[in-house]
Amino acid sequence: MAVGAEPGAETGAGMTLAQRALRSPTLRLAGRRLLAVIPVLWGVTFLTYVVMNLLPGDTAQVLLGANATPAQVHQLEVRLHLNEPFWVRYGGWLGATIHGNLGTSLASGENVTTILGQRLPVTAELLIYAFVGSIVLAVLLAVLAARRPNGIADRFSVVISMTGLSVAPYVLAVVLVYVFAVKLQWFPAIGYTSLTADPLENIRSLTLPAIAIGFPLFAVYTRLLRADIVEQMQREDYIVTARAKGVPSWQILIRHALPNSMFGLITLVALNLGALVGAVAIIEPIFSLPGVGAILISSITNHDVPIVEGVVLVFAVVVVLAGLAADLLYAVLDPRIRYERSAS
Amino acid sequence: MSAPLPDLLPAPDAASAVPVRTKARGQASPLRVWIPAGFLILLAAACFIWPQIYPVPKPVGGSILEAGLPPLSPGHILGTDPNGNDVLSRILYGGQVSFEVGFSVTAIGLVVGGLLGVAAGYWRGAADAAISRVLDVLIAFPALVLALVIAEGLGPSELHVIWALAIFSIPAFGRIARSGTLAIREQTYMLAARLSGSRGRHIILRHVIPNIMPQLMTFALLGFGIAIILEGALSFLGLGIPLPEPSWGSMIAQGQQVLSATPEQALIPSAFLFAAVVSLNVLGDALRERWGVR
Amino acid sequence: MNTVSGPLLEVENLTVSFPGRRGELRAVIGVSYSLDPQQTLAIVGESGSGKTVSCRALMGLLPQAAVVTGSARFQGDELLGLTDDELRRHRGTNLAMVFQDPSRSLNPTMKVGNQIAEAVRVHQRVTKAEAKKQAIELLRLVHIPVPGRRFHEYPHQLSGGMRQRIMIAIALACRPRLLIADEATTALDVTTQAQIMELLLELRAELGMTLMLISHDLGLARSCADEVIVMYAGQIVEQASTPQLFTHVRMPYTQALFEAIPRLERPAHSPLPVIGGRPPDLSALPAGCSFAPRCRRAADDCRTTAPPLAEHEPGHRWACWHPVGQGGPGGWVPPEGTVWHDVR
Repeated sequence: MAVGAEPGAETGAGMTLAQRALRSPTLRLAGRRLLAVIPVLWGVTFLTYVVMNLLPGDTAQVLLGANATPAQVHQLEVRLHLNEPFWVRYGGWLGATIHGNLGTSLASGENVTTILGQRLPVTAELLIYAFVGSIVLAVLLAVLAARRPNGIADRFSVVISMTGLSVAPYVLAVVLVYVFAVKLQWFPAIGYTSLTADPLENIRSLTLPAIAIGFPLFAVYTRLLRADIVEQMQREDYIVTARAKGVPSWQILIRHALPNSMFGLITLVALNLGALVGAVAIIEPIFSLPGVGAILISSITNHDVPIVEGVVLVFAVVVVLAGLAADLLYAVLDPRIRYERSAS
Repeated sequence: MSAPLPDLLPAPDAASAVPVRTKARGQASPLRVWIPAGFLILLAAACFIWPQIYPVPKPVGGSILEAGLPPLSPGHILGTDPNGNDVLSRILYGGQVSFEVGFSVTAIGLVVGGLLGVAAGYWRGAADAAISRVLDVLIAFPALVLALVIAEGLGPSELHVIWALAIFSIPAFGRIARSGTLAIREQTYMLAARLSGSRGRHIILRHVIPNIMPQLMTFALLGFGIAIILEGALSFLGLGIPLPEPSWGSMIAQGQQVLSATPEQALIPSAFLFAAVVSLNVLGDALRERWGVR
Repeated sequence: MNTVSGPLLEVENLTVSFPGRRGELRAVIGVSYSLDPQQTLAIVGESGSGKTVSCRALMGLLPQAAVVTGSARFQGDELLGLTDDELRRHRGTNLAMVFQDPSRSLNPTMKVGNQIAEAVRVHQRVTKAEAKKQAIELLRLVHIPVPGRRFHEYPHQLSGGMRQRIMIAIALACRPRLLIADEATTALDVTTQAQIMELLLELRAELGMTLMLISHDLGLARSCADEVIVMYAGQIVEQASTPQLFTHVRMPYTQALFEAIPRLERPAHSPLPVIGGRPPDLSALPAGCSFAPRCRRAADDCRTTAPPLAEHEPGHRWACWHPVGQGGPGGWVPPEGTVWHDVR
């Protein structure tokens, strides 16, 4: 009787880590992606520059206000290089940026990097709070809902999802402020306390804004994840195998179906990141949070190009990094991507 | 307890085979279609028709003397805003704006984006490459930033809001139309139509468009809601419909200022905005299930 | 309850139906049989004959929409109508199942060793290390070389035959009394098929198991089974011991099946014998015998009244009003030189 030495069986554990890394399709993919990133970043910033410069109205005039004399306006123009041709100005900005110098704000004269450095942690903390919260809660609710399709938890999740998808962040923010800040007074309506100053206050000041941003996300994630899990549970053969083994339903849900359902969610989260710059720009001013979004709108109104460019650049980088992180996560979760495919 | 059953039914009756889902019947009950649809029709009728047939106080030009009246005051069912304007009237006229913007943006996206997407998906080649690149860039761009910039640059007005939002509507519809067209293109009967000599345009009209309509229409309903929300966002920020013209978004912004004192200023327009978008979403979802779109 | 004597499995009037869009879909109709310990039973039939559904009903692996009536007693314990928790006592310990497509029946993101160990830990209170040891033992039992290393591999790294061995190892984890192989070799190439069947029979002898083989492959039934049941349109139409069935066919359907096997002796370019007509619509079965529309020997009474399944000769049951060889002894004998495509 032939022993099962079938052809093509992989001996995956035989290579060294370094060998595997070089052959790893994931790392090669990461490398290619990094290279592809640069034109994308350039494209985004260039497009922004073009659009900003198409804005009618004289920047210097706007900055100085209606009462400025023509001479003052002209002086400011010269100082800010605003009278030079478009390409010279863009070239100057691009050159400086490559060297890490993002320029100075036209409005305040401060270093853009400094401004961003001060405001970025606030926005980052807010977004992390919103994301982590929405993802964790989405996983919990999706698992509960998928446990018994059309059961109580499932119908509840549908209602929540519909609500979250239909509510605009600014609407939610206003309602949250009214209920929790004005009436119940559990959270402050505006204001921000930094993490280092008072951690508890910090969390309190960020909770309502995080909910305003996170709730719509939570709705979308729950819907997607629940659908994916139910699909796995109903359509996949390995689930039947697990049942036939005698594995209890909860264990099947969490150990088998859930890990195989995460891919859609990861993709969606990474994709969503770019859209958040808009949400942040609206939510931060409502709660008077000194983040990056708060100055975005005023910078646009002021035609403060360096600030706008700086913010856009930061977000573009974050989006790109998120895409990379997503790819890496795929590899972690799915061994088929991690290892080379066997010849069978 | 469920299991996929590959050999449950022979091929001739595959269509009547039990779907593996636990719901054996057809999914969305008619209520989920008609209740939201009915509500939307009522709301649209109220916003557009009521002011014509029934005298309503003007939405602008109120006097300060009547500012801040609470709901159920005589002559002002929903009260007045801080400028003395009648809230109900502002809600109705603001609703007109929301519906107009939502409809225009969706229609432009559907027609222009749909045509571009179908063209790209059907003819492929250079046209597809070009169109797809542009669509991808637009979709990847931070949407609100561009919308804000456009609105800022063009100046606040309803028309400019429509243009600014249409720039995002078109690629969204384009992408869906394109992927739907690609999918259908692969199917055998398309091949058959080509083999039988039908010209390209004929194929498109007869096969592609009817088949992608369900996807496009359900997305249109979702997009309508998104457009309403975005118009509200722009108005909320002061870059949309210019004051003192009414818009639900700017009403919410104004209401935010007086949230502690008179919360209904913000909550009433919020409720209308939410109700309209929820109806659109529930309707879109129910139709999606009915028509079998994934 | 461990009765040593008496049948291992007694199925009585098992009926499974599904609500379909065009009326009730009857997948299994009034199936009754009994299985003795250490016997090998083959259930043969085309797609849609109900063979898979009837066996999945035994382990409770059908969709929630399925309506199951009748009785199936395993060593006296009723299997039908149990809750998931109650069924889990039987799954893996008393009854186990090996499925058709090993590439889809294994969790792609879980190591194969862990999938076997899971089957162990579900029913035994052992440590992870102990479960791993047992899993490696099982890998050795199914003749997978270097089991210690294979434990850590993922399904996509293994060939089809190896994956099926893993499935068998999973099924055997708790030494079940009854192993159901549902088209276990259909997705494999011929050589591997032989190897896997060889393995199953060897394990049956070694572990004293009872084996139920579900297949559409007559050669497999002939070479591996003691007793054969032929199913059509959800019903048993003929049942006999293997030597009896393959030399004395009674049911016209079985005869048609045998005749449909291509034979070298047939003149070149002669049309292949097929069973005329189409498989039955399970939601609209005809009154009378379900095979009547396609049967050469069909008469009027066949179309009005369904023939009952009865033991017309000792050890040989069939359901036909006009069986082959009616009135005379022996029934139909397959012609000399029929190549059965035996599996071993």
